[in-house]
Amino acid sequence: MSVKFEKIKRQQMIKFPYMLDFYPLEDEKFTRTSKFFQNLKEGKLTTTKCKTCGKLLWPPRIMCPNCFSEDLEWVNLGTEGELYAFTEMKAGAPLGFVEDCPFCIGLVKIGGLLISSRIDGAKFEDLKIGDKVGLKIVELEDGRVFYRFFKG
Amino acid sequence: MRKVAIVGGGATQCGKRDASWRDLAQEAGKAMFASVNNLHQKDVDTLIVGAAQPERFIFQAHVAPMVAEYLGIVPRKVLARTELMCASGQAAIRYAWASVASGMSDVAVAFGVEKMYMPDMAEAQTNMTCVLDREWDGINGLSAPPFFAMTAQRHMLEFGTTKEQMALVSAKNHHYSTMNPIAHFQKEVRVEDVFKSPMVSPPLNLFDCSSMTDGAAGLILVPAENAKKYTDTPMYIIGTGQANIGNAVNNLASLTEWIPLKMAVNETLETAKITRDEIDIAELHDCFTISEIMEYEAFGWCEKGKGGRFIEEGGPYIGGKVAANPRGGLLGCGHPMGATAILQALDIFQQFKGEVQEGRHVKGAENAVAHNLSGAANVHSIIAYSRSPR
Repeated sequence: MSVKFEKIKRQQMIKFPYMLDFYPLEDEKFTRTSKFFQNLKEGKLTTTKCKTCGKLLWPPRIMCPNCFSEDLEWVNLGTEGELYAFTEMKAGAPLGFVEDCPFCIGLVKIGGLLISSRIDGAKFEDLKIGDKVGLKIVELEDGRVFYRFFKG
Repeated sequence: MRKVAIVGGGATQCGKRDASWRDLAQEAGKAMFASVNNLHQKDVDTLIVGAAQPERFIFQAHVAPMVAEYLGIVPRKVLARTELMCASGQAAIRYAWASVASGMSDVAVAFGVEKMYMPDMAEAQTNMTCVLDREWDGINGLSAPPFFAMTAQRHMLEFGTTKEQMALVSAKNHHYSTMNPIAHFQKEVRVEDVFKSPMVSPPLNLFDCSSMTDGAAGLILVPAENAKKYTDTPMYIIGTGQANIGNAVNNLASLTEWIPLKMAVNETLETAKITRDEIDIAELHDCFTISEIMEYEAFGWCEKGKGGRFIEEGGPYIGGKVAANPRGGLLGCGHPMGATAILQALDIFQQFKGEVQEGRHVKGAENAVAHNLSGAANVHSIIAYSRSPR
């Protein structure tokens, strides 16, 4: 028999898969720390603190790794932080962030923690260590939220 | 515990290769088996494959049996793939070593493969951005270059380290890699070339950063008492150390002092029963120029904060206090993650045998260390190698 050739079709556009999405699945069906995101929607940056041993935990948890207590409380970290280190992503951004390039990234001291964040509202040249930065909440089209900080 | 020796090994040409993951594995496997006498691939009872992200780069899981199939190996003691990102290959060597040392395995292969070039490099960058805690750090765009950029910024602020000192690391390692025929980069890079290269994440220019690279390599490990059956010039694993503190950026012990590296160094020196001054060759994880500077400090070849001055004064060159990265480092050779530690070990093996190019040969070297960091420099892994069983 002769060899057959056939062109086949595939779906051209694939929905952005969740597992290539940097933003986490936030609602209570997917995580037991969905309260963090609910708090963000109300303008509050929070994390969990162990009521048994007092340890402040970041990222938020369902259990204290220090004493294994599950008796945790949500504490507010405030709305103003201080820039500890920063840089700018000028090249090599991942899918979903390529359009944002260049953008600033920093380590922010806030509420006794040192957390990483996008730093909006400034170019690299505008920033210096020790700058005060304010809390900003960003919302995706599907309603999911995350925190950033902004200068000025 | 049995003493363990490395009796052979082989590698591919590293670089942007017109070859698949499977091609790379076959090339390295053939070279590895060609390097030893009296060994058939069916004698291998254990295979550990270091591979950082085959699920992402080639959409393939369960790669250890695939390597076994392609190389004609029939594992019957231990088979596994190790993932520890940039230290995935070192994890493979440590597991193979532990299995032979324990008496479970008699002939073990520690292998490493990574295929990192993809048609769309933004997809490759996506893979590299789920290394740090993806939901809390990666989400901010925090992949390796911005993380190490901020490390460099703090080191410059706290200790006065300069961009010129960092560029010297790049120039040194690229110089050595020009003499390494399997290295990804074969051209000299001068200090001014580092400054002229595109800015990636300030203060890091492109030539401050190691690259995505395709490559594979493998090593054969046997009990020391059997080593001479396969080669006249075995290399012995004399010690090892590994430590980890935290994962997310908030939980690192320090940004500018790698405490887990100091812990791993102490453990390595203690288990190897050598002093840092007895280390002739150090294959250091120079994923970024700042990394190597901080490693001089953590290994104790200079004081904390003086890593920049250490290279200015000639400390890490051949003929200096320690020959750091005479292979060309990750900066010069490229960084195919799963293969990197295997390539480091293989080069030390060839250094001891005197089978490396004249200009990068550390003559009379007795002891060496190979170091890998991974993640946000929160994991450090080291193996000490020696020409003699000690």
